[in-house]
Amino acid sequence: MQKKTNTLGSWLVYLLPALFIYTLFMAFPLIDSLRLSLYSGNVPQDRSFVGLGNFARLFGDERISVRYWGAFTNTWIFFIIHMVVQNGLGILFAVLLTAETMRGRHLYQTIIFIPTTFAVLVTGYLWKLMLNPVWSGDFFVSIGLPFLKYPWLGDTKTALPIVALVSCWQWMGIPTMMFVAALRNISIELLEASRLEGASGLQTFLHIKLPLIKPVVGIIGVLTFVNNFNAFDIVFAMENVNGAPEYSTDLIGTLFYRYGIAGQHPIGIPDAGLGAAIATITFFLLLLVVVPTLRSTQRGGGE
Amino acid sequence: MKRMNVVLCVLLLLCVLLPIAAQGTKVSVGEVTLTMGSWRTDDVVQMNRLLAEYKKVAPNVTIKFQPTNPPDYNATLRLQLDSNTGPDLMYARSYAAGEELFKAGYFADCTDIPGLMQNFTASNLAPWQMDDGKMFAVPFAAVSHAVYYNKDIFRKEGLAIPQSWEDFLAVLRTLKSRGYTPLANGLADEWDILETFFLGMLPNFIGGADQRVRYESGELKLNDASFVAAYQAMADAAPYCPVGFESVTYNDSQVLFASQKAVMFVDGSWTAEVYKDAAFDWGLFAIPAPRGKKTAICFHPDMAITMNRATTHPDEARAFLAWLCTREGATMASENLPVGYFPMINFPITLTDVHANEFLALNSGKETDARFVWPALMDLYAPMNQAVIRVMKGQVTAKQAADSVAALF
Repeated sequence: MQKKTNTLGSWLVYLLPALFIYTLFMAFPLIDSLRLSLYSGNVPQDRSFVGLGNFARLFGDERISVRYWGAFTNTWIFFIIHMVVQNGLGILFAVLLTAETMRGRHLYQTIIFIPTTFAVLVTGYLWKLMLNPVWSGDFFVSIGLPFLKYPWLGDTKTALPIVALVSCWQWMGIPTMMFVAALRNISIELLEASRLEGASGLQTFLHIKLPLIKPVVGIIGVLTFVNNFNAFDIVFAMENVNGAPEYSTDLIGTLFYRYGIAGQHPIGIPDAGLGAAIATITFFLLLLVVVPTLRSTQRGGGE
Repeated sequence: MKRMNVVLCVLLLLCVLLPIAAQGTKVSVGEVTLTMGSWRTDDVVQMNRLLAEYKKVAPNVTIKFQPTNPPDYNATLRLQLDSNTGPDLMYARSYAAGEELFKAGYFADCTDIPGLMQNFTASNLAPWQMDDGKMFAVPFAAVSHAVYYNKDIFRKEGLAIPQSWEDFLAVLRTLKSRGYTPLANGLADEWDILETFFLGMLPNFIGGADQRVRYESGELKLNDASFVAAYQAMADAAPYCPVGFESVTYNDSQVLFASQKAVMFVDGSWTAEVYKDAAFDWGLFAIPAPRGKKTAICFHPDMAITMNRATTHPDEARAFLAWLCTREGATMASENLPVGYFPMINFPITLTDVHANEFLALNSGKETDARFVWPALMDLYAPMNQAVIRVMKGQVTAKQAADSVAALF
């Protein structure tokens, strides 16, 4: 009796609903968008096969390619800032929070994690107001920091780093929590042994803690990469879908939204094929980076 | 275990059946509910008044006004129409944006709606007309552009309404030297600086529709002296915008003007309602032309209403559009139009709002035209927008700005 219920067939039944939903809402749209990148036209009735025409236009038409490469570069900068600031601070906070001498750990943990629970639109708008010299300028002057009275979001040089830093501030809680969980899993004997051997704090971190949490570092790197290459909301909230000022905060996400979904204001004629072409390139780029990263960090991690 | 399965099955069945049952109760015999899509989230009250008036004409038809966030309207409407969940009636953008949705087969052909071709002038029909003369919407309202100014501060400082662009700059200079922020305009949202300020004043520099056509045909160049002068005017006005105007949004500008932190605001007529309860006296003047040129007004055909070709109630939707083409319907509509929207129909209609009439009065004796890029050069919208922003930030000269746009034509 017991044995019979454990056969493959009976387990498959339980997998079917999830498989069905995944196929319908994830796999099918993904594959269909790959197909769509080979077609032109917005509505099913006048869609026609153009082969790689959309890709040729994306890179061949100078008006479009300049926007694509601009967004591509901005997205990498956006990603690098996240890797360094968000994940760097995440590790630092996690090491501090798991230190044995740390007091008030729960309070700090909560403070670091709270921004994560806010809606991006809300934090985006709040930061936008705080960074606007018209509203906060007098305050900065009155507390003796007049150099902060500056149109941070209106300057092409500062806008992208500022938007990225706000995003780091908001999401820092996630890597912190994951690193904390990973660091807590390290057995106390190992750390004690290293202390007895006379290793400094930094040595313990570099040679004991870091190698042991490598799988988590890999996962976080991958998540950051995927999220940043799909980022859209923070730019939408703090600037606009054109990536103002002067396309300096234009990311792949906003570029895709403009070409594929909304169309350029004010005409608003989207180009579904071109949008799908952008999404397709992003998809393969993600595959290209994610698979090797996961392979190198997950192998031999735990087992 | 078996009982669990039964319960689960019943739950699943309920999940499927309940929505179906709910749908069924919605429709009662003879009653028709139509939805209307729009980008005017600010006008819910006014539109509901108008639609309530229509309910008296057609008691069995209820029209629901369902506006979406203005910058997202085109995208949302498209998605709805693509997925066959579009509204029955909807606002239609003028020129290319509207034409495209008609060509895609979403907007119904409105040409034979009674009264449409008779009660509007050709120039008022044109923004919603295809090349072959087919109409894809019923014209509803136009907007205007002008300078909002704080009369209290003008009085206190002994300033007069400037009659030329040079006078305007002198007024800006005077106000700045006395510690005011002269202009409320900013660059952060991008569209407003182009649509309200640059395109609003462009007819002053290049002339009206007869000149616009010469630019469209390529006879005149987009980097000629008139255009360079217009870009230069933007550069000249930039120092009088708020400190940090690079990150001032459209809403910020409105607040700056409404809270008397800025003295003037170059903006569209659609904002007039915002200052209804302002604690100060405000008025309007036309953006003045440079000396030696005639002041003209950018009076832009903005809104029209059309119907979905796939609507399940085509007769009721058509009847509403036909009502808008009658004297009775048009009067009712303009009485309920928000302040700053002007009827386009031929019947003489008097508006009651002081500021609305002030806007209309600016038109008298002056040439008017639509926003420059709308009729034929929409591709130049984004490049022109960026050129205006760059020249105002001082990154390029007026000549370079004009050249960058002309190079794309």
